[in-house]
Amino acid sequence: MTAAQLIPAPDPLQVPWGWFQLFLSATGLLHFLVMNCMLGFAIIAFTNHFRATGVEDENRMIGSKLPILIAFTVNIGIAPLLFLQVLYGHIMYATQVLMAVWSFSIIIMLLVGYYSAYIYDMRFERLGRYRVVLSGLVACILLAIAFITSVNMSFMVRVDGWSEYFNRPEGFLLNLGDPTLYPRFLHFVLASVAVGSLILALYYDFRQRKGESEAALLVAPAMKRFTLATLANIAIGFWFFLSLPKHARPMTGDLGILFLSGLTPSIVLALLVVVLGWKKKVRLTAWTLLATIIFMAFTREVVRVSALSPWFSVKELEVVPQYSPLIAFLLVFVFGLWMAWYMIRLVIRDKEVSS
Amino acid sequence: MNYPVWQLDIFGGGFLIAFVAVVHVFVSHFAVGGGLFLVLVEMKGYREQNSAIINFTKKHTKFFLLLTMVFGGMTGVGIWFTIALLNPAATSSLIHTFVFGWAIEWVFFFCEVLSLLLYYYTFNKLSSRSHLILGWLYFIFAWLSLFVINGIIDFMLTPGTWLENRDFWAGFFNPTFWPALFFRTFMALLIAGLFGFLTSVKIKDEELRHTMVRYCGIWLLVPLLLLLGSAWWYKEALPPEQQQAIFTMMPELKRYLAGFVYASPLLILGGLVMAFFRPQAVRKPVGWFLLIIGFIYMGCFEFIREGGRRPYIIYDYMYSNTILKKDLAKYQENGVLKTARWLKNREVTPENRVAAGRELYNLLCLHCHSIGGPLNNIVPRIEPYTPEGMKGFVLSMGVANPYMPPFPGNEEDASVLADFLATTLSSNGAVKEHQYRGEEVQTASFNPEESEYILLASTTLGMALSSNPQVSGIDFSFAPPTIRAQLFRRGETPELISEEAELSYVYKEAEGEKRGDLSFSDDYFQTALETIPRSSGTFKPYVIATLTARIDGEPVAETKVKIGVSTEAGCRNCHSGDWQQDDVYGMSRQTAANILEMHDKHSKTDLSVIFQTGGTIVCSFCHGDSARGTTGGAGVLNLSAAIHGFHSAHLNKLEDGSSCNLCHTSADRGATRSFDGIHKSLELDCSNCHGSIVDHAVSLLKSELAAGKKRADVLLKRVAGLGSVAQNEIKPRKPWVMEPDCLNCHEDFEAPDSDDGFNRWTEDEKSLFHNRTGEEEVILCISCHGPPHSLYPAAHAYGLEKGGLQPLQYQKSLYPIAADRGCAVCHTVEMDEELHHTGSLADFRNRVDDD
Repeated sequence: MTAAQLIPAPDPLQVPWGWFQLFLSATGLLHFLVMNCMLGFAIIAFTNHFRATGVEDENRMIGSKLPILIAFTVNIGIAPLLFLQVLYGHIMYATQVLMAVWSFSIIIMLLVGYYSAYIYDMRFERLGRYRVVLSGLVACILLAIAFITSVNMSFMVRVDGWSEYFNRPEGFLLNLGDPTLYPRFLHFVLASVAVGSLILALYYDFRQRKGESEAALLVAPAMKRFTLATLANIAIGFWFFLSLPKHARPMTGDLGILFLSGLTPSIVLALLVVVLGWKKKVRLTAWTLLATIIFMAFTREVVRVSALSPWFSVKELEVVPQYSPLIAFLLVFVFGLWMAWYMIRLVIRDKEVSS
Repeated sequence: MNYPVWQLDIFGGGFLIAFVAVVHVFVSHFAVGGGLFLVLVEMKGYREQNSAIINFTKKHTKFFLLLTMVFGGMTGVGIWFTIALLNPAATSSLIHTFVFGWAIEWVFFFCEVLSLLLYYYTFNKLSSRSHLILGWLYFIFAWLSLFVINGIIDFMLTPGTWLENRDFWAGFFNPTFWPALFFRTFMALLIAGLFGFLTSVKIKDEELRHTMVRYCGIWLLVPLLLLLGSAWWYKEALPPEQQQAIFTMMPELKRYLAGFVYASPLLILGGLVMAFFRPQAVRKPVGWFLLIIGFIYMGCFEFIREGGRRPYIIYDYMYSNTILKKDLAKYQENGVLKTARWLKNREVTPENRVAAGRELYNLLCLHCHSIGGPLNNIVPRIEPYTPEGMKGFVLSMGVANPYMPPFPGNEEDASVLADFLATTLSSNGAVKEHQYRGEEVQTASFNPEESEYILLASTTLGMALSSNPQVSGIDFSFAPPTIRAQLFRRGETPELISEEAELSYVYKEAEGEKRGDLSFSDDYFQTALETIPRSSGTFKPYVIATLTARIDGEPVAETKVKIGVSTEAGCRNCHSGDWQQDDVYGMSRQTAANILEMHDKHSKTDLSVIFQTGGTIVCSFCHGDSARGTTGGAGVLNLSAAIHGFHSAHLNKLEDGSSCNLCHTSADRGATRSFDGIHKSLELDCSNCHGSIVDHAVSLLKSELAAGKKRADVLLKRVAGLGSVAQNEIKPRKPWVMEPDCLNCHEDFEAPDSDDGFNRWTEDEKSLFHNRTGEEEVILCISCHGPPHSLYPAAHAYGLEKGGLQPLQYQKSLYPIAADRGCAVCHTVEMDEELHHTGSLADFRNRVDDD
C-alpha cells in the first residue's frame, strides 16, 4: 500500500478553487493577527508575573481584553478552517482522526482556558497571588492548543507518516518525529509574543499621544520585547526553512517562483521590522510587520501546496458549478461588515454624545 | 471507507457527538431565545421606569454571556470538531454541499458575538435607544444563525429534491425546513424562560422576584403550546416512511418519544407552580427541576430527529457507516476487505482473522455502536449469537431492522466480521464438533435364496425435530414419526400381503422399550408414534426400530428401520442459551425463555409469564400445524408461515441452504446432519427444492394471505425484492401438504434436466413423496428409496449402515431396493420389464463410493 492510496477521495467544489483560496488567505490572515495577539497577550501576562514591578496595570488591561480576543480568535478562525476544509478537508480530516484524542481535547482545553481568562478578568483584584497560576493556566492551554494545531498542520502534509495509524488507531498519534514540527511551533509562538508586544506598544503609544506621559515609559520595553522576539524568530524561521522537505521549498518552476516571491520579501521585511523595532518606530513597525505577515502567509500557502504536491493538488478538485450560494454569501458578507461597522459606530457616537 | 476511523470503544456509538451536541443545542437555543428575553426585559424596565428590572437584565446578561458565548460558542465549534472526527465523510459532504451556507452562518455568528459583547460591555454606558438597538441586533443575528443551521440540520433529515438535482437551495429549504424553524424558535423561547427562572428566583426584592418569575412563566408556557403545534407540523412534514420509522419501527426511540410526551405536561405543571407558588423553598428547586426537564426535552427531540434519518446520516444519500447509497452494490460485490481505503488486513488468514474482523467493525459498526459504552453498546446486542447466527444477522441487516444499513460487504466480509463479533466481543460459541458415536447396528437377517417374504419399511419423514419441550418448556416440535411398511411374498410376481399379516415394532429409547403394532390400510401398514422418541445414552439422531411381520402368529419377516429424531434445533444460534446436553443438542430453558421474550416483544403476548410459572408453551396451539392436527387461532399464521415468515427477514442473505441449516438439523457441522441422502452427495441443498429462505417463506405466506391473514402481508412486504424469485411468481402452498414435487425434476421418473424443484407443489397429500407409489401403484416410493432427505444411498454420519439398513439387509449395498437390476430381491428372478418406473431396470445412475 502506498501513502497516496490512503488519501481519501475529495468531494467536488461548487466554484473554482481560486475563490476558496482567496477566502482562505484573507480570513486566515485576519485569524493569525487576532490569534497572535491573543497568544502573545497570554504569554506576556504570565511572564509579567515573574518581573519585579509595574506589571499589574498591564496585566489588568490584558486580562480585560483576553476573553474578547479568545472570542474573536475562535470566531474568525472558523472561516479559514471552513475554507481549508473545502480545499483540503479530505486530507485534514484523515490527519485529525489519526490524532483524534488531541484534536478533541482542544475543545475541552479551550473551554477551560476561556473560562479561566474570564475569571482572571472578573476576579483580578480578588485573585491576588493566584493570578500567576491562572494566567499560567491560560497561557499553557493556549500553547497546548497551538502545539496540537501545529501537529495537525504538519501531519496533514506528511502523508507518508499516516500508515502508523494501523499500529495505533486509537487517535493518540502526534507525529513528533516530524522535523518541521518544532520550528513551526516555535515560529508561531515567537510571532505571537512579537505581535502581542507590538500591540501593547501601539496601545501605550496611543495613550502617550493622548497625553498620558507615563505611558511613554512603557513603549520602550514593549518594543524591546518585540524586537528580540522577532530577531529570534528570524533564526527559528531559518531553522523552519531548512527542516522542510526539499519539495516543500521549491526553488524552480511555477511553485519556485511563487515560493521565492513570497519568501524573499518576507525576509527583507522581517529584517526591516527588526531595525524599525530597534529604533522604536512603533506605527511604522506595525505597518511593516503587517506587510511581512501578508507575505509570510502567502509563503505558508505555497509551502502547503508544495508539500502536498507529490500526492495532491487543488487543481485536481472537481467543480460542479453553483454560483448563487457564492453570491448570497458575498452579499451577506458585505452586509455583515456594514453591520459590524454600524454597531461600532453606534457605540462610539453614542459615547461621544454622552461625554 | 474513505477515511480512517477513530477506534473508540467505550465512547463509540456516537456518544461523544450526542453529548457535545445535546449540551450545545440546549445552550445555543438559549442563545437565541435569551437574546429576545434580554431586550424585552430591558424594554419592560424602561417602560415601567424600573431600575431594578434594568439591573436584573444586566446581571442576567452577564450570566447569558458566560453561558452562551463561552460554553455555547465553544461547544458549537466542538460539534464541528467532533463530527469531523467521528464521521469525516459526512462532515466533508456537508461542508462541500453547504460551504457558503456555513460561510453565511459564520458572518451571522461574527455579528452575534460582536453585538453581544457590545451589549454587555456598554450596559448603562449608552443611551437606552442605542443599547436596545444592540440588543435587538443581537437577537436578530442569533436567530439568523438558527435559520441557517436549521436548514443544514434538517437537510440531513429530509434532503428532499436535492437528492435528484443537487441544488443548494433545494437542500437548504428542504421539506422540514419551515416546521423545524418554528419548532426551534419556540424551543428557544421556552428555554429562555427556563433560564430566566434561574436568575429571577435570586432577585432579593420579593415583589420584583414574583413579577419576574411570573414573566418567565409566560415565556415558558406560551412558546410551549406553540411548540407542540409546530411539533405536529414537523411530524406531518416528514415523509411517511420516516414517520413510520420513528414512531413504530425503532424500539430504542420509544424512550425518547415517551420522554418528549411526558415532559410536556411536566413543563406546563412546573410553569404553573412557578407562577402561583411564591415560597422560595418551592421556586428554587422547581426552577432547577424545570431546567433539567427542559434539557431532557431537548435531548429527546434531538435523539428522535437523529433517529428519523436512520439508517442514514444524510437521508437516502449516505448511510451512517459513511457509505453512499449509490456505492452500496459495488461494495457488496467487491467486498470491504478488498476495497476499503483505510484497511490493513486485506488477505484474511487464520492469524489475522481477528484483526481483520476488528478493522471491519471499525469501518462498519463503530459509527453507531460502542463496545461496552453507555450508548448503543453492541455487546448485549450480539451476545445471543453464535458466529453462524451472527453472520446470518449481519448479511440480513436493514430488512427486519430497517434502522440499520444493509451490510455493505460480501460473504467473506460478513463471515470475518461475524467471527470477530461472536467470538471476540461475545462468546456464545461456535458449533462444536460432535463426537459421532453410535454402536454398530446389525441388519436383520435375509436369505435371498430362502426367505419367503420381504419386509420394506421407512418413516414418512427423514427427521422428526423436537424442541425438547419436557426440558425447554416450549413445543414447536414436528409431529411424532410415522412408520410405514409393506410386506411382500417373494416370487416371480410378488404378492402384497395385507390384513392376513400382523406387524409390530419395538425400539429402545431413553425412557425404555416401546412396542406397538402397525395397522394395514391402503396397501401399507402404518403406525404413528405417540411421541418423538429420544435416543438413549449419548446423543444419537436416531432410534432403531425392529419390525416383525407375523402370519398366523409366526414371524415371517423382520427388518430394522431408522427413525430419525433430533433435538438439535438451532435456535440458540441467535437466541442464546446453552445446549441442554453435551454441548451439542437439546434446547435449554434459557433459549426458550429468550425466544418467548422476543415473541412477547414483537407480538404483544405474555407467554413469558406463563413460561416462568412452569407452563409449557405449545406453539401449534395458536399457530395451526396440520401435521399435528391443530388449526390455531383465528387470523393467526400457521406455524410454518409464522416461523419462516418472521425469520426470512433475518436470514435472507445466507447462501444456498445455510439459512436452513441455522435452525434445522441439516448442517454439515452439526450433531445430526439429517440431510444425508443421495441429493446431499450430489451437492444439492435445501434451496434446490424448497427455494431460498425468502422464497420458501413467501410461498407459505401467500397461502396465508389468501386465507385473509393480514400479518402475512406485513411479512411479505418486509422481504419484498429479497428472494430469488419475484413474489408474484411464487405459488402459494400449504405446509406439509403441498411440497416440492419430486417429478418436477424427475419428470416421468427420468434423469433430471434441472436441479430446480422450487415452486411446483404437490397438489394434494396423495402426491407427497411418502404417499406416492411407482407406476404399478402398489409399492411406496419410500419402501425402496427410504425417507425424504435421507434417500438411499445415504451417508449417515453415525455409520453408513444406519442410512441403509434395508438395502444392506436385502442386497448388501446402500443403493435403493432392487437397484442395479436387483429385481430378484422381490421377484426372485431377473426382470426385463420396467414395471415400477422408467429406469428401474437400469444401473443406479449416481454411484457413490461402494466401499
